[in-house]
Amino acid sequence: MPRISIYQEDHIPSPSRRLWEAFSANPFALAGFWAVIFLLIIALFGPLIAPYSPEMQDPKAMLLPPSWDPAGTVEHFLGTDDLGRDIFSRLLYGAQLTFGMALLIVATALGLGFVIGALSGMTRGLKSSVLSHLLDALLSIPSLLMAILVVAVTGPGLENIFWAVGLALTPQFVRAIHQAIHEELQKEYVTAARLDGANSLQIFWYVIMPNVWDTVIIQTTLAISAAILDIAALGFLGLGAQAPSPEWGAMVSQGVDNLLIAPWLVTLPGLAILFTVLAINLVGDGLRSALTPIRN
Amino acid sequence: MAKYLLRRLNLFLATSAVLMLVLFLATRMFPVDLGVALTGVEQPTQEQQQQTIKAYALDGSGFSQYVAFLQQRLGGNMGISMTSQQSVAGELVDVLPASFELIIVTSLMALALGIPIGVLAALSNSKATQNVIMALTLTGYSIPVFWLGLSLSLWFGVKLGWLPISGQLNLLYEIPRVTGFVLIDTLIADTPYSMSAFKDAVLHIILPATTLAVFPFTVVVRITRAAMANVMTQTYVRAAEARGLSTAMIVLRHALPNALIPVLKSMGLMLGAFTSYAIVVEVIFSWPGVGAWLVQGIYQRDYTVIQSGIMVVALLIIFMSILIDVLHTATNPLSRKELYATN
Amino acid sequence: MRLPTPRWRHAITALCLTALATGCTPEQVPAGLVYCSEGNPESFNPQLSTSGTTLDATSNQIYSRLVDYAADKGAIVPALATNWHISEDGLVYNFTLRQGVQFHNSERFTPSRTFNADDVIFSFQRIVDDKHPFHAISKTGYPFFDSIGFASQITSIDKISDYEVAFTLHDPDASFLSNLSSAFAVVLSKEYGDQLLLAGRPELIDQYPIGTGPFSMTEYVKNDHIRYHRHPEFWGKSPQLEMLVFDITPKSGTRLVKLITGDCSVSALPKAGELPVIELHETLQVQSDPAMNVAYWSFNTQKPPFDNVDVRQALAMAIDKQNILRAVYRDTGVEARGILPPSSWAYNDSLKAQEYDPKQAMKLLEQAGIKNLELDIWAMPVGRSYNPNSLKTAELIQSDLANIGVKVNIVSYGWSVFTQKLNQSDYDTVLIGWNADNSDPDNFFTPLLSCGSIASGTNRSRWCNTEFEEIISQARQNTSKLERATLYQEAEGIMKSQMPLVSLAHAQKQTLKRDNVMQLPVSPFGGIAFADLTIKIAETAN
Repeated sequence: MPRISIYQEDHIPSPSRRLWEAFSANPFALAGFWAVIFLLIIALFGPLIAPYSPEMQDPKAMLLPPSWDPAGTVEHFLGTDDLGRDIFSRLLYGAQLTFGMALLIVATALGLGFVIGALSGMTRGLKSSVLSHLLDALLSIPSLLMAILVVAVTGPGLENIFWAVGLALTPQFVRAIHQAIHEELQKEYVTAARLDGANSLQIFWYVIMPNVWDTVIIQTTLAISAAILDIAALGFLGLGAQAPSPEWGAMVSQGVDNLLIAPWLVTLPGLAILFTVLAINLVGDGLRSALTPIRN
Repeated sequence: MAKYLLRRLNLFLATSAVLMLVLFLATRMFPVDLGVALTGVEQPTQEQQQQTIKAYALDGSGFSQYVAFLQQRLGGNMGISMTSQQSVAGELVDVLPASFELIIVTSLMALALGIPIGVLAALSNSKATQNVIMALTLTGYSIPVFWLGLSLSLWFGVKLGWLPISGQLNLLYEIPRVTGFVLIDTLIADTPYSMSAFKDAVLHIILPATTLAVFPFTVVVRITRAAMANVMTQTYVRAAEARGLSTAMIVLRHALPNALIPVLKSMGLMLGAFTSYAIVVEVIFSWPGVGAWLVQGIYQRDYTVIQSGIMVVALLIIFMSILIDVLHTATNPLSRKELYATN
Repeated sequence: MRLPTPRWRHAITALCLTALATGCTPEQVPAGLVYCSEGNPESFNPQLSTSGTTLDATSNQIYSRLVDYAADKGAIVPALATNWHISEDGLVYNFTLRQGVQFHNSERFTPSRTFNADDVIFSFQRIVDDKHPFHAISKTGYPFFDSIGFASQITSIDKISDYEVAFTLHDPDASFLSNLSSAFAVVLSKEYGDQLLLAGRPELIDQYPIGTGPFSMTEYVKNDHIRYHRHPEFWGKSPQLEMLVFDITPKSGTRLVKLITGDCSVSALPKAGELPVIELHETLQVQSDPAMNVAYWSFNTQKPPFDNVDVRQALAMAIDKQNILRAVYRDTGVEARGILPPSSWAYNDSLKAQEYDPKQAMKLLEQAGIKNLELDIWAMPVGRSYNPNSLKTAELIQSDLANIGVKVNIVSYGWSVFTQKLNQSDYDTVLIGWNADNSDPDNFFTPLLSCGSIASGTNRSRWCNTEFEEIISQARQNTSKLERATLYQEAEGIMKSQMPLVSLAHAQKQTLKRDNVMQLPVSPFGGIAFADLTIKIAETAN
């Protein structure tokens, strides 16, 4: 016999469910979300989809415009560069470098930042103050300068950019998490939990962390878009990925020389970066506004 | 307040010391001889070597080396550039004004346009306006700055031919350097073509400043909008409405001053990213500022230039962010109250 | 709801518009010319350098030489020396000097006397005499003079009177006058040198130049510009330009854009792909001048495995030169078979082109027992007249070599670092080239491939072959053109069988200009001498 509900009971969804509902109610955010999924697929399977190898030169098809141009061909959907390399294939491979690399860097920086931030957030006094000064100093070095410093030590190259951008991002995570924990620590429910006899670890994991996740999430989306822009900017300046690499920023830089005769060499990778960063920012924005009602 | 200022000063000194430590360690890791990395003299004579060892206490302990390094650098001795053999400090004095000029013009543009539009966005009830402004700012926020710069110079420089896209001034104008700010120097120059040189300087700064302004502009719009929307629901605004004040009056007198406080704060947070953008913009538009100089330095593996460039820029950022923090506290009585409850 | 915003915005747009309207037509621009050059000069003394960038910025504008080479006449003509006399045995060269020649006047130096024999002796003793107080100031040596063995060639330089100097040589040398007419053999001021020596800063002589040329250098901002003013008391024909500015713009695309926007009126070294853009703009023109040059790919023959002839042959066979000519040079270059360009009188028409045969290349590598070869190609970061785009050339070679299983890393630095690092000889292979300094064919052999020029840094292959050495030294001392030509052909044969370098192309020298600039005075050996340039004044501004 089915249970009959006598009282009109409100169904209370779980927090993550509520978050998703609030998030998906925003069409921009949803669009961004699908765009990010799309990019992830490209980053993972791009090399399988790409019709050519990114470094294959077709001497018969140099500086071919994209296919919608009367002079373009379907074989090279987005045209070719001055060495006859297929732009479409290069963009697909480049997704792995620019977007994939950004994700990797952020994941590393997040892991590192989380541990340091959590440890420092739970401590007080001198240690915490020293760390906070250290972070202020590191934060005051803009990511690009940090990258220049790393490049000066190690020489340019995509691997070094991993360290450069990672080093620049980690302090941001540390600081955001440190501050979020610090703020929570001062709230009364923490004191209540402490009075209940919870030890530091329990307080950290069961009391504070659920309230810090949203900071982490927001910081992560911010960091991903910052990382992409940094990787691309470094590639553009010739400090990151080097010449034949299909990293998007490096592609723009290689296209600059032909800006006047073949503007698509700059436009297309630029649009790819814009699209990616925009998608991530849309998701980040959506998440932030979806989280706000929960936070209040 | 005095105690607060003292704490900020302390923060500035401590942060700078850490920064210098980072540079001090990095100098040791450069792939050149330590003496060369410190002084920039590539084939030093015996005498110069002795001098370097003495000046940087290279025979002393790690700590005394650090102290000597601090003394040298903060005393203005940054060695000579490895490529030009000129004093790095002298080169810095040459390039810094151009960067300041660009940044000041950019900030004025971003604030002058960003605040009104942010206010407009907050006051508008139409969903469409709000969405358009949000979409625009989000796009502006996501645009890779080098691509924006290239596209603008392609359109306005090459295709339309309206604006120059490189440098500060047509090089045929020979303007004596007084303040280092070309916009001012051209005006006070005692030449028959002073006025046309000034116009030329204005034209030259439009594209780089616009490119660089897009990012701070979007941040200002977003923050102003959020702050305004918040302030407009406050009781004192409703009280002002009840007294029958006009909307313009309420916005200008009551709401805006309060809404600008978070804008100020956000500017401090934005400094780092803004500097990165400025470096890229200087490179694209061949703006002879510290960013372009630094990037050239790295292309040429000019380690003294790299070091000093990073040092000066980072010190400026530390100083500016603390200054903004102080201003923020000075203008905001609320934050003064909760100063340093813990930590 | 009324808001103050619209009014502000109106004001701002209005401001921008006025700025645009008035600014597009600057009323008064000082009379002068901006030249978009490709890089920083390494020094302001051409004696110390071989790069075309440095020569352009110094030799042709700031300095004068004893004698000049007139390309139109094909002969050596007077400059600071009004007359010269060669002794019967060909060992003593006697120069009569021009009187009343003024040196530049600068903030640092006011000349008290005019040019005389002391200045000539000072300028050349600096190179020849290693005890000369200025000799060791140069960290790079005197590469051109070292490469032709100038110091060992000179027995003495003597002052006969204030306006007469004699150079005494060890052996007769058919190319001596040609060498003195080259852009490197400039005359400095002894008085300035003495003054700097007294002040304890002798090195400034190469940073703040004083010469007798048509322009004096007044300002140099690294990475940005060099400013020159007309020398009011120039001994020759006074230049039309009052001011000359070199706008240092390393990126070729940016140079083109600056030319289009009118920021500069003449622009150096376009990439071949940019030439179609010029056709779209009515006000722009391309000037092509014949040049005597060769672009080549040099192997560091002192570094294994490039000390193995088979490896060098295999690599030479594996690259598709035609493809490079198409992609990098378009129609502005011809394939190089040997090392001499077709315009040289010793050019060998019957020399065969290198065959493109990747299969044979793989076989050769296999026989040499080389597996998984990985090599660095150093590529010049800037365009040169002989190779407008080295990086692209390197990328093409990279993909050609990938086909035979050789992995290539492309290495590049800023120009001045590039040359510095190159001098440390730590490279595998380098893409570089040579612009002739004078019309003598020896200028391609002795500097590029002789044993003596390894130390001076112009022999980038670091290759030394006794048989080859013997032939070119015979050719140097011979005065019969016909016999010399045969000897040089023989030398080219040895070079091809040993393959210390793969010659790629001979290019025309391309310069871009706006149409108000008349014919540019470009020499096949040096760069542009702006003193002889004329512009239509009415259209200077744009």
